[in-house]
Amino acid sequence: MSYLRTVLDSRELLMYLTLREVKGKYKRTLLGQLWSLANPLAMMVVYTFIFAFIFRVQPDPGDPSGLNVFALWLLCGLLPWLFFAKVVSGGVDSLVSNAGLIQKVYFPRVVLPLSLVTASGYNWLFEMAVLVIALMIVGAWVLPWLPLVLLMMLLLAVFAAGVSLLVAVANVYFRDTEHLLSIVLQLWMYLTPIIYPLSLVRNLSNDVGGLLGTPITLLDIFRLNPMERFVAVFRQLLYDNRWPDLGDLTFCIVSALLALALGFWVFARKEKGFAEAL
Amino acid sequence: MNAVEIDQVSKSFRLYHERNQTLKSAIMRRRRSVHEDFWALKDVSFDVPEGSTFALIGSNGSGKSTLLKCLAKIYWPTSGSIRYNGRMAAMLEVGSGFHHELSGRENIYLNGSILGMSKKEIDRKYDQIVDFSGVEQFIDQPVKNYSSGMYVRLGFSIAISVEPDILVVDEVLAVGDAEFQEKCLQKFRDFRDEGRTVILVSHSMEAVRDMCDHAAWLNKGHLMTVGDVDSTIEAYLGGKGAHGAA
Ligand SMILES: Nc1ncnc2c1ncn2[C@@H]1O[C@H](COP(=O)(O)OP(=O)(O)OP(=O)(O)O)[C@@H](O)[C@H]1O
Ligand SMILES: [Mg+2]
Repeated sequence: MSYLRTVLDSRELLMYLTLREVKGKYKRTLLGQLWSLANPLAMMVVYTFIFAFIFRVQPDPGDPSGLNVFALWLLCGLLPWLFFAKVVSGGVDSLVSNAGLIQKVYFPRVVLPLSLVTASGYNWLFEMAVLVIALMIVGAWVLPWLPLVLLMMLLLAVFAAGVSLLVAVANVYFRDTEHLLSIVLQLWMYLTPIIYPLSLVRNLSNDVGGLLGTPITLLDIFRLNPMERFVAVFRQLLYDNRWPDLGDLTFCIVSALLALALGFWVFARKEKGFAEAL
Repeated sequence: MNAVEIDQVSKSFRLYHERNQTLKSAIMRRRRSVHEDFWALKDVSFDVPEGSTFALIGSNGSGKSTLLKCLAKIYWPTSGSIRYNGRMAAMLEVGSGFHHELSGRENIYLNGSILGMSKKEIDRKYDQIVDFSGVEQFIDQPVKNYSSGMYVRLGFSIAISVEPDILVVDEVLAVGDAEFQEKCLQKFRDFRDEGRTVILVSHSMEAVRDMCDHAAWLNKGHLMTVGDVDSTIEAYLGGKGAHGAA
């Protein structure tokens, strides 16, 4: 709790570090901020082509929105995932790459990984705004759900921050964490129903039945993944336009708070040794 | 009244024979590393009087920078404690945290907030910072186009504008041209006249004699003497001579 205080007290520093990320990145580029849209759009085109046209993956139409557009269905899950992946993969070396600063100046170190959450969040907000406009154009009734969407974005940012703090600390002591992480993130993405619907997993799970003679099914294991729940809730709000499933929502809230608490706890314990370990 | 009270401070580092900083080696060999402890500071205690200009002297590797980093809260003493009366700021390297693509103006705000100033405070001191640095003509240029001297000037001006009660300075004075160095020295004198405390490290005994009123001599992590500047320097030079002869 006292850690939250530290973060609040250094909000101006956090703001300038965020500006450093945001401005420094697209300085002297022709399209500037628009570049942050390029990556998700390229992925959308590729995945839509491969999964909707070649593999003929067909998610259920939005209920009650009635939407049936694979590319938009994809983006409702892909944009939150990309935000999470960017925060975590950027956060992992936020301490190591700022070693010079950490060894020369005292300031709350936690702002370094957190500044990537805010900087990526800023880009994500921009991407989500474009998605919402696209959804409205094809006739989804998104507006009433926007406050809840924003709340979920905040919750995912909390979850991502927690995970990012953990991997950032790990990377100080084990420098190959970042290489391991890039593999883990790839696996994680494919194990999360982002480019395929969960119903495919459900069908498979029903065919297989209980694993190893237990009543636990494949679907149960899939649903232990917090990112699966986050993606599900984002789709319920944006694509289906309905109240999120209460179980999913609870799972998101609990995992976000747990991740952040654990992240802060580990960070606070290790923080004093960073300057030496780097 | 003491500005800083250093009580029985010791600091040990782990010296690794074989540093295993990867998960792979940690898992395969089932142990992190082979190391031994090295005491960079051992039971150092002294007080820094308020309003004094205090020098730390000693040969290379004697632990001066380590002590300053403990003072600056960058390292945590292995044992012992440090008490401050007043706001402390450290200048161990100027311009750390500058972002090369950002302009001088943007970097003033970034660096100022890293050093713990609020936006309001920086707004208020902005003109004074630019003035002191003498780079106003280039203030909207990205700092990567600055000469190394200009870089240091800007960094120093930001750091000095924090106006702490206690300023901790490592050997950053040896940069900049003669004119700027004189400006810096004058700034330290002003600090003293305003009743602020400065703790600095220098290898130049003339500069120390000129600027400081108190000094402490560190040797291999142990405190040898502490007291007024002339007697400490004398002991240091004498001790070094004896050392060299032995
Ligand atoms: N991070 C570290 N890890 C291991 N040893 C260290 C570390 N930092 C300093 N040391 C050791 O501590 C001792 C004191 O170093 P320190 O930098 O304090 O010396 P110094 O008095 O500032 O020397 P100089 O006059 O050369 O600046 C040295 O032997 C150095 O090798
Ligand atoms: Mg030194």
